[in-house]
Amino acid sequence: MQKSYWIKRVLYAVFIFLIVMTLNFFIPRIGVDDPAARYYPPQGNMSEIEYEIIKQATREQYGFDVSTFQQYLNYVSKLTQFDLGTSFRSGSPKVSDLIKERLPWTLVLSVTNLIICLTIGITLGSLAAWKRGRWQDTVLLNASTISTALPAFFIALILSFYLGFELELFPAYTNPNMVSQFDWSFEAIKVVLANAALPIISMAIGGIISYAQGTRNSVIAVTNEDFILTARSKGLSQRSVLYKHTLRNAMLPIVTSIGMSISGLIGGAVIIEQIFNWNGMGTLFLEANSTNDYPLMMGIMLFMSSFAIVANLVTELCYSLLDPRVTVGDKR
Amino acid sequence: MIKKCILVVILFLTIILSYGCQASEYPRRSDSSNTLYVGAVAASFPVSFMPWLSREGIAPTIASMLYSTLFSYNEETGMFESSLAKEWYYVDEDGEPITLPNGAVDYVRLETIYSDSSKTYLPVKIILNEGVTWSDGTPFTVEDVFYTLDIGTNNALSNHAGALAWTSDLQHTYRNGSLTKQGIFTYENGATQQGYPIAEDEKDTVMYLHVNKVLGAITTLFTTILMLPKHIWEPIVTVENQLNSRDPSAETLFQYQNPVGTGPYLLVRDQSNAQVITLQRREDYHLRGEGDQMLFQVETIKFMLYQELNVAIYALLKGHIDILDAAVSSNYLSLFESKEDIFLSKAEGTFAQTLVLNVNPVVTERNPIRDVLQNVDFRKALALAVNQEELIERVLNQSGQKMSSGLMREGLIDFYNPLADTLPTDVDDRLVQANQLLDTLYPNKDEQGYRLLDSQRISFQILGSPGEQEVISYLQIQFQKIGIEVKFATKGSSPEKTYLYPSKFDMTIQGVTFSLSNVDIMYMAHFVTLGTSSNYGRLSNTNLSQKINTMRTTLNLNHKYELIMEIQPMIAQLYYKIPLYSSNVISAARTDRYTNYQVVAGSTVFNTDTLQSIQRVS
Repeated sequence: MQKSYWIKRVLYAVFIFLIVMTLNFFIPRIGVDDPAARYYPPQGNMSEIEYEIIKQATREQYGFDVSTFQQYLNYVSKLTQFDLGTSFRSGSPKVSDLIKERLPWTLVLSVTNLIICLTIGITLGSLAAWKRGRWQDTVLLNASTISTALPAFFIALILSFYLGFELELFPAYTNPNMVSQFDWSFEAIKVVLANAALPIISMAIGGIISYAQGTRNSVIAVTNEDFILTARSKGLSQRSVLYKHTLRNAMLPIVTSIGMSISGLIGGAVIIEQIFNWNGMGTLFLEANSTNDYPLMMGIMLFMSSFAIVANLVTELCYSLLDPRVTVGDKR
Repeated sequence: MIKKCILVVILFLTIILSYGCQASEYPRRSDSSNTLYVGAVAASFPVSFMPWLSREGIAPTIASMLYSTLFSYNEETGMFESSLAKEWYYVDEDGEPITLPNGAVDYVRLETIYSDSSKTYLPVKIILNEGVTWSDGTPFTVEDVFYTLDIGTNNALSNHAGALAWTSDLQHTYRNGSLTKQGIFTYENGATQQGYPIAEDEKDTVMYLHVNKVLGAITTLFTTILMLPKHIWEPIVTVENQLNSRDPSAETLFQYQNPVGTGPYLLVRDQSNAQVITLQRREDYHLRGEGDQMLFQVETIKFMLYQELNVAIYALLKGHIDILDAAVSSNYLSLFESKEDIFLSKAEGTFAQTLVLNVNPVVTERNPIRDVLQNVDFRKALALAVNQEELIERVLNQSGQKMSSGLMREGLIDFYNPLADTLPTDVDDRLVQANQLLDTLYPNKDEQGYRLLDSQRISFQILGSPGEQEVISYLQIQFQKIGIEVKFATKGSSPEKTYLYPSKFDMTIQGVTFSLSNVDIMYMAHFVTLGTSSNYGRLSNTNLSQKINTMRTTLNLNHKYELIMEIQPMIAQLYYKIPLYSSNVISAARTDRYTNYQVVAGSTVFNTDTLQSIQRVS
């Protein structure tokens, strides 16, 4: 039963990928009559014929000289060879090379942030649920309200200005030589830690509170279940009831949140990266967008989407492991 | 287990905080050398420098410092100034310069000789500066110019559509990789056979070009095309490995990353990456300042990348950089004005914001209300209701200038025609006149005071971006005073395709920049061409079109300037693009390390004049 559920989920993910791949190809082309005319508006005293020659050269250069359907087939054919295309930028680097270069730096921020948010968030959430109605719970609820009103980029700007620029406690933005001089030495790792501190804190503040709030609600819902009452009436310790019975059963919604966070690992820090000059995937995407670098934009979008699809697939498969009723429900 | 996990994370957090809790060292603060720290706001810096760089971000600035064009163009005087070349002339059929005794071009003779000539081109003689070298020490010669222009026209080798566009006025053509017409002549490339004898001692510095028979033909060739080193590129560029290769060979990539140019600076490769670019002054740069001093005063320039403007502004205020090479909004003025050690540049803008009226929609997009815009008196009434001074005060915090109705900025004193500005200056007079005009055309009003056309309110939409909402709100108030209703409508993400070219709009906001170097192209695009150009309101005026065409094709520069003067009042009296304002270019620099910054129209404080005059504070 579980096997057929898994196959169905995988096929569904493949189907979603095909749709994403197709949309990823066509969306950038909506509203663009002739990309060549956008690149080179008429110059000097050139005639219509001369201008047409120039536009044709541009189309050939970037592969726009064939029908849109043929362009789509070329795109799919390249994808089957894991070729995301070539960027328009000077030197014509491969899109996959640019992604490979930037991905680790984004993961440094987002994975660290996720680990911090999960551990501290779940701990604080459990505590607040366990101490429901007391000051711990009240603090969390108020913090949650404030955090909802303060987006991460705003927190980042405030931290950058006060802790970075004014008090100079942390680097206000990333050292420009951090990436180029990174060599896995202790000194280089220290530089990365120093520069990552403010971006991670900016992202983590909202994340911790969000996880804590989710955990609190989930734990409270489980605490009201009969089996918790039974566990307590059996004389189990508070800690045992919390860790072995309550938290375990409250995990399903938390796993959903984790899945969603993992899907957003790559693209979730665009603004934070921009504020702190962090050379990651987010800034790569902004760069592609600002320079109309279609192959790069399409490559990043496809990579991010694929990552999200895989993350969602893994989350769904985890559901079935955590709660067998999920597969039964699916069959029904 | 969970407890252990939490402990590990807390330990990890402590490490991050303890190592993070140390401010970056900002090298500018302790740098006593002649190094200028320039902040640039961009997504990233280029790390590969294909000689003809992209037009995005900081790339053109870097390109202009590493490479050079033949001449530079002075917008204020309309003259070419020496760069790689020192002189140029149109020549007659015997190869003799067509010049006046003072050395200037004799445009009357030029027109006499070539207007009716069977020749389809204008021959141009160019003389290069002596002693120019590439940054690797190789002498720069006319063969480098030949190579550059030749490969620019040969797309099979260059694979660069921009170069095709830049050289489109050069009568030197390739078809499928084979030369079909030669229009560049040097000692080694057919000058003598063409009837342009070049002496042995001039063979490295003298060359001839055949260009289209219009005065504007030389502008792009002289001032846009960055010259390439033949000795670097000729051995490696082939049809298989093009100059602008989509799949560059290792050697090509090496050359992209280690540029060899003739510009005043060279790239310091090991101190440059995607977030910082370091340029070092060339001590052997051929152009010198007064008393044979170095022309450029700064020895080293470090461009620092900031991806967010607010962060860059704080970096300037806190002394991490000397100059911010970015124009900031007038909303930031108060942030700089109260600060010591800050030089605030409010340069005159060269860009005018206009209200464009859809005066001639395609037939399918016509309706009775839009037809109202065809009436020139109605358009004049709208123009009268716009008070530029008030607009500048309210929307730009007084950081802008009025723009002439002829759309040529008043700062260009030799080319601005005051006869274009005939509307009264008194605000009340203007509104009275506007209402008088409209009372004649549409006397009936509804209960709210808006004018009626066949019992329907005359109401228009103005397409704008969110940033233009404030301007449109002002127009709403002003037009209400003359009984005309306007409403804001968002432009959307692809306005050209969805609204502007298909004529599906009433009015819109559009920027215009007219200068001597671009009038040939821009007057056509804004007032003549009906296809996909900037003539969104599809103005079609025979007299204006003829005048613009004559201006473009005359061989007499004085006549061309006269026509530019005549065109301005014609544009003004059509009331098709109503000028709103020209905003200042606001930028800032610190004065604790450098002084003597220069304010240049249309530029930030980081400009060529600044680099030539700046002084290090001891």
